[in-house]
Amino acid sequence: MRTPITLLALLGLALAQPGQAQAPEPVGSRPQQFTQTSRIVVPLRFDAYYTYEQVGEALRALAAAFPELAQLEVVGTTEEGREIWAMTVNNPKTGAPLTKPGVYVDANIHGNEVQGGEVCLYLLNWLLTGYGTNEQISKVVDRNAFYVIPVVNADGRWHFFHDPNTPSSGRSMRVPRDDDRDGLVDEDFPDDLDGDGSICRMRKKDPFGQWKADPEDPRLLLRIKPGEKGEWTILGEEGLDNDGDGKVNEDAEGYLDGNRNWGWAWAPPYVQEGSGDFPFSAAGPRAVAAYIMARPNIIATYALHNNGGMFLRGPGTKADEPMDPQDVAAYDLLGKNAEKIVPGYRYMVSWKDLYPTYGDFDSFTYAHAGAFSFVTELFQTTAETYRPPDPATPAPAEDDDSDFRPNPERERERLKFSDHVAQGDLFKPWAPFKHPQYGDIEIGGWVKMSSRLPHPFMLADLVHRNAAAVLFAAAETPRIAMEVLSTEKLGAGLHKVRVRLGNSGGLPTRTFQTVGKRTAALDTLTVRGASVKVVAGGKLTDPYLEQVEYKDHKPEVQMVHVPGYGKVEYQFLLSGTGDVTFAFTSLKAGAVSKTITLP
Amino acid sequence: MTQLARRAAWTGGFLLALLTSTTAAAQPATVSFDRYHAPREVVAALDALVKASPATTARHTIATSPGGHEVLVLEIGPEVGRPARRLPAVLVLANMEGTLPVATEAALRLATLLASKPEATREMTYFIVPNGNPDAAARYFARPLVADPRNGTRVNDDLDDQTDEDGPEDLNGDGVITAMRVKDPSGEWLPVEADPRLMRKADPAKGEKGLFFLHTEGVDNDGDGATNEDGPGGVDIGVTFPHLFRPFTATGGRWPGSEAETYGLLRFAFAHPEIAMTFLFGATNTCIAPPEGGRKGSVDFTEIKVPEDMAKRVGLDPARTYTMQEILDFVRPIAPPGFEITESVVASFLGLGAVVNPLEDDVKLYKELSERYKELLKAVKLDGKRLDPAQARDGSPELWSYYHMGVPTFSMDLWTPPESADESKEKTGITADTLEAMSSETFVALGEAKVAAFLKEVGAPPEIKAADLIAGVKGGQMTPKQMAGMLRAMPKPKGGEGGDPRQKALLAWSDKELGGKGFVPWTPFKHPTLGEVEIGGAVPYADTTPPAAMLATLLDGQVPWVLTLAEKLARLKIARTEVAAKGGGVHELAVWVENTGSLPFPTAMGKRNQQPAPAVVILETAGAALLSGKARTPIKELEGRKATKLTWLVRADRPGTVTVRLESANAWGDAAEVKVGGAR
Repeated sequence: MRTPITLLALLGLALAQPGQAQAPEPVGSRPQQFTQTSRIVVPLRFDAYYTYEQVGEALRALAAAFPELAQLEVVGTTEEGREIWAMTVNNPKTGAPLTKPGVYVDANIHGNEVQGGEVCLYLLNWLLTGYGTNEQISKVVDRNAFYVIPVVNADGRWHFFHDPNTPSSGRSMRVPRDDDRDGLVDEDFPDDLDGDGSICRMRKKDPFGQWKADPEDPRLLLRIKPGEKGEWTILGEEGLDNDGDGKVNEDAEGYLDGNRNWGWAWAPPYVQEGSGDFPFSAAGPRAVAAYIMARPNIIATYALHNNGGMFLRGPGTKADEPMDPQDVAAYDLLGKNAEKIVPGYRYMVSWKDLYPTYGDFDSFTYAHAGAFSFVTELFQTTAETYRPPDPATPAPAEDDDSDFRPNPERERERLKFSDHVAQGDLFKPWAPFKHPQYGDIEIGGWVKMSSRLPHPFMLADLVHRNAAAVLFAAAETPRIAMEVLSTEKLGAGLHKVRVRLGNSGGLPTRTFQTVGKRTAALDTLTVRGASVKVVAGGKLTDPYLEQVEYKDHKPEVQMVHVPGYGKVEYQFLLSGTGDVTFAFTSLKAGAVSKTITLP
Repeated sequence: MTQLARRAAWTGGFLLALLTSTTAAAQPATVSFDRYHAPREVVAALDALVKASPATTARHTIATSPGGHEVLVLEIGPEVGRPARRLPAVLVLANMEGTLPVATEAALRLATLLASKPEATREMTYFIVPNGNPDAAARYFARPLVADPRNGTRVNDDLDDQTDEDGPEDLNGDGVITAMRVKDPSGEWLPVEADPRLMRKADPAKGEKGLFFLHTEGVDNDGDGATNEDGPGGVDIGVTFPHLFRPFTATGGRWPGSEAETYGLLRFAFAHPEIAMTFLFGATNTCIAPPEGGRKGSVDFTEIKVPEDMAKRVGLDPARTYTMQEILDFVRPIAPPGFEITESVVASFLGLGAVVNPLEDDVKLYKELSERYKELLKAVKLDGKRLDPAQARDGSPELWSYYHMGVPTFSMDLWTPPESADESKEKTGITADTLEAMSSETFVALGEAKVAAFLKEVGAPPEIKAADLIAGVKGGQMTPKQMAGMLRAMPKPKGGEGGDPRQKALLAWSDKELGGKGFVPWTPFKHPTLGEVEIGGAVPYADTTPPAAMLATLLDGQVPWVLTLAEKLARLKIARTEVAAKGGGVHELAVWVENTGSLPFPTAMGKRNQQPAPAVVILETAGAALLSGKARTPIKELEGRKATKLTWLVRADRPGTVTVRLESANAWGDAAEVKVGGAR
């Protein structure tokens, strides 16, 4: 049984010393943890999971191995005092990070959704070890700044590995909350009764129960149909009535959902469970949002979650529809290609194809950071197969993880997968247990490191493909080239000059929402020359029919937006002679300039 | 917190309350209310108060504004210095708008009033924020005088290549930023016929044509063709709170709490679950005008439509409507074991959204209290004709406190210039409130002339005819109640033929009481870029800020109402206990918990959003066994002046004592000992 963490915090106990390397746990002490067991060295391995401490070790190892390209920093501290780490990958020889299109990736904002942390580590390891050996990797490292936060919910990841859990528990930020409203906080949590490191399920023999054993695989329970005789009552997750209120496990640690606590379309908890008292009330989202807002060059963000195999984009609620169609097109470019890079994953609209969410990460970063933002739901249990090689057999539908639509066929296949592919690692056989309150019961079911997490042998594929989806986006960030198309003498010392800004990346220099809703100042194209006056200047909308939207005031500064795979052209009427410099300065697409000499 | 720690804090709170009640009142620090206090003077006044009574006052810094001002909370109460407070608290927020110096003075007056009345804080705490938006508040004390609610956050208002580069200038050197009017054929403004000093928008529908452009006083510093479009200052703290926050507005900030001032306050408020009431000194006055509803989009829990895909997933019918209870009853049995289906879970899956209109029971309460307050105003002779108070803005602290904190929330604007004479005459007296209560028959009986006058008053479009309206009500196509809703949703008429009522009132006030100092007469000026202009118009603050000589009377008359309301707070007590022997050592224990306050525990909104924590009745049975009922029983609601009965079955073979403790974060608490036991 665990001591409630809030009590420890009150007593001022230091829970962890995350800045320091900690010895890995002895091998075999925690069955089915699937964590790294050897010393962590570069290149990193992806045949097992990294605990919170091991993520720190891995990041420090990368920073030490690539001191020029990789910078490790602490962006904040969690409720329980753990560090939240960020690593920047940038080649200083090609410019400071803020002068390049930024690609941001984070993971594990839900404590139990750990494998995103491995995708982050894989991406970092790939960028750093691939630089100078792989041409494409070298290109993105030279051209982009990568910002990676492998573990947002540092407390959550720590507890997920160190405490007994279900595959779904430990999601919350560690903000104490009185779930059962009895005046006590976090006092009735699940208990690992059989001490195996997992919170499984409890069942009790009961002729009046609503469940029976599946005749094909008795480990599985099926809801009885009218007229059938029951065998079992499901008592819920493994645990005790710790606070003696007649309920079991009704007030576990948390609950504040890190992905409902952001400052866009935030709604209080009575509208949506877990949003917290106010936007950014939790330490992690607050620190991470500040980190992102301080890096306005970020133009693409990925937040890695599990599970179901989805590339989700906003809006999070219907109220934010319609999204600007040109932004949808940019999202489609990334989303539809991501679907191909990671087979089985679907590109979806969050509120419509999944469910509405208020105060989520990707709606916030789209609106306020002006970044194309995805939430990736990593892993599909449909990848856990045990079936004949019959191409005519369609793949079974994905579980929707809700149990509202039981899918016994899939469950049977997953059990066989556990038996024969994972050697029983994923399912704990039902075993008798003497429960202090329920008497003779059985404990069994899917273990912590199952259901939402790939078995380690599938991890390498998952981390590689999902990191590749991020690299696809990086390659599509805006790349602006400037051409001075023509200069023409109009007489009386007046020159006509045309300048083109072309984008060879698929993403625009800003989201179209930024332009349409006027949420931020755009980029500038400035014209400067010591003996040159800008008489007129504006956007050239038709070069053949000479249609120019001349700007009424300050023609020497043009506010500019360049679409993906597109161009914009400007025409200036200049008087004077000598050097004149055209400079494009972008928040998210770097800077480029050209100087010509007027005769 | 652990049970043990909570218990210790609770007992400690009571002990402390007893102790302070026997301590002699400390010498109150004096603050003179013959002038307005600049933010730095406010800080000094708070420090003086703390110095005079260090045992019962403290100041807390909850934020530093971008302009470098501390946002301070003055705590007055018996639990100063305790890590957790067990007595209820009143949160007082002043001048969140930043443009209302009188609000800050009211907060200071409240602080001095409490300092002189120790009995008012013997059993409760006041947290007073005298300057919620100090960057803006400082402008009243600087020259040139400009009223601007924005804090010091740098915002590029005009989205060009510079920030804060084009603010106003005092061109005529009179120390005041007023307006400029420029004759221009494409102008939109006209002088008001009755008083050409006032300006109003021309109405093209009436064949009118504008003659003037209106600007604020200044030049086009950045040469972009616009005057004063990107002055210093960023965010109006008064609209940065999370309820109905509007993103992407000119002065509203990026997200709710994006500003340090707001975030600090949100953090403070939720760290103090003892807060039982919020009182705001500012732009609104819910003591006079209860909050109005009429917003679209409030979810009715009795008529929920389930979207098709969701309905398919769980087996509900997308074509019909359900009550929340029906959905809960349907979904709970098919939910996976261990998955608790709550209202909040259903609401979020269905995307039902937030409550946006005040709940009926709360409005009733506000209305009753408003009648009492008007009686007070009469008694202190402050019931003269005044302008209608403003309604709370979207994103305001008023809405946040009511809808999110779930506590009773009152506000006071303290002063407006008297309504000008021609506005107050010939009024029909018909308002949204009177319509709401009016039967169709009464409406029809008003007659066409009166209804027509009413339509004119509210600025209804000319195509709406009184006769049609009466016929509609007669025919049952429309009810007065529906009209009330429509009226509330309508924008308030502004700048009609007679000009803006507030400006008109100001002008009359300025002429009569200020010797004309509230309005700068239009005077020709040679503007560097606009050419011939006239500079003049309302002096900033003149319409919201009474002369300092009036302060004492206004504050002494109105501020004590806060204490009156605080006396009405829900207060939970154990009214009675009873033990009945059932035989075999089994006893029924009954405990009556009553709310001796007149305010409900909590508000209707508080019930809906489950925000203030429930009270809990805790039994310590010391050896006796609890056969039915729980050792900890939450009390989630209790109306004012009502009691509720709780029962337990206890088995106690030998005589003993059961301790009954009633704990609440924000409604006091109580304890009782009951003798139970012995087989008879």
